[in-house]
Amino acid sequence: MHIQVKRTGGFVGATRRAEVDTSGRSDAEAWHSLAREALASGKGSERAGVPDGFHYEVTVDGHTVHFADPHLTDAQRSLVSKVLKEGA
Amino acid sequence: MDANHVFCGIVPPHMLDHLARSGSAAVADAARNALRMDAFHRERRLSAVAGAPPQPTVPGAGTPPDAAQRCAESVLRRTIGDAEHHQRLPGRVVRAEGQDAVSDEPVNRAYDGLGHTHRLYLDAFERDSIDDSGLALNATVHYSRHYDNAFWDGEQMVFGDGDGEVFNDFTISLDVIGHELTHGVTQYTANLDYSGQSGALNESMSDVFGSLVKQYALGQGAAEADWLIGEGLLTDQVQGVALRSMKAPGTAYDDDVLGKDPQPATMDDYVETTDDNGGVHINSGIPNHAFYLAATALGGNAWERAGRIWYDVLTGGKLATDADFASFAGLTAAAARARYGEGEEVQAVLDAWKQVGVPTGSEEGSAVVRQRSGTTAPTPTI
Repeated sequence: MHIQVKRTGGFVGATRRAEVDTSGRSDAEAWHSLAREALASGKGSERAGVPDGFHYEVTVDGHTVHFADPHLTDAQRSLVSKVLKEGA
Repeated sequence: MDANHVFCGIVPPHMLDHLARSGSAAVADAARNALRMDAFHRERRLSAVAGAPPQPTVPGAGTPPDAAQRCAESVLRRTIGDAEHHQRLPGRVVRAEGQDAVSDEPVNRAYDGLGHTHRLYLDAFERDSIDDSGLALNATVHYSRHYDNAFWDGEQMVFGDGDGEVFNDFTISLDVIGHELTHGVTQYTANLDYSGQSGALNESMSDVFGSLVKQYALGQGAAEADWLIGEGLLTDQVQGVALRSMKAPGTAYDDDVLGKDPQPATMDDYVETTDDNGGVHINSGIPNHAFYLAATALGGNAWERAGRIWYDVLTGGKLATDADFASFAGLTAAAARARYGEGEEVQAVLDAWKQVGVPTGSEEGSAVVRQRSGTTAPTPTI
């Protein structure tokens, strides 16, 4: 599974990108499970955010969804944080 | 008198303080009386004014303190919540209005920051909280984990702790707190659309008044202010002094991890992008710099004339929700004329927009305003 996160906006206004390829990873199943849970509740189009809130574009194996702060589920928050922290 | 019943005057407290110490006997007496009127006011004066007293400037300079206006009663009501690293808002209440400081510094900084912001709006613009009707001010700290942001959610402020590597705690900069609350003021007034140029104006309003909150709290004039947004927010591992510079947009940071400050100072470098709602935090550099230029050309305290003109446009009812830079610029020139007549204020505003390459487009329009104002404009306050 290929998971990409692009984060835009925020107080700073800087764009951040990171991605994770789970193939061959020992924790692949945990990633898959988290990604499925996050996408299950994702909206397919840009959701209006709030001033200075982050916008997230998450693409999993070619399928893209958008999230905006502060309307993220715990799974969505966990996924974007994990990808931005551990991804390349 | 209730401790929250605040005295609101056109003469800032640090100026009263100065007059009380060094004015003529009558002026000093009046200043001392004004200072005695409210314990909260006095406490703030002692805590907020650091360093040398700023030079009094127009229009307050020669104004005797007894001319200070009594504002309508305004009650400051602050509540700080702790999200305890979850996404819950407003979180567990950890400090409410009037309660003592706690051991968690972000809580106290948020509490004090809300107070400083409330005070600028009340003292400088006679605005009673962000909705001008005494809205309670709420903020939540410790939002999520390692969260590199602060935002206004439509009802309250939210602060992350930062990741500790690039960003420190977002309560560190007073102007960031003023910035977020100003999103609330904009929401209740011009309600500028948060995309493209109107979005960049929305952002710029927050930077302008956020910076003024800090300048007012420190008693700094336009010449002394650093005009930085988010100073102290970057860790010492980052090459940079702040997140934005109104004085020199594009120069706040240049770092391997964070990249280079992308803000333009003039229309020549306007950035077309779909990210960041069309670059609202990027192109805000242009109106930010125009405000800086106007404020420093006028000198003195930036909240007095430049700030007043910008505030008049934000709250005057003529600014469209989808306004672009040029229409905003034209309105600032008209507002300068309406409040101060034909003089250095309108000239400073026109020069500022010219330097950043935004047409005021209003030489015809303002000529009409000028003719009309010749008979109906209020007497300039200076």
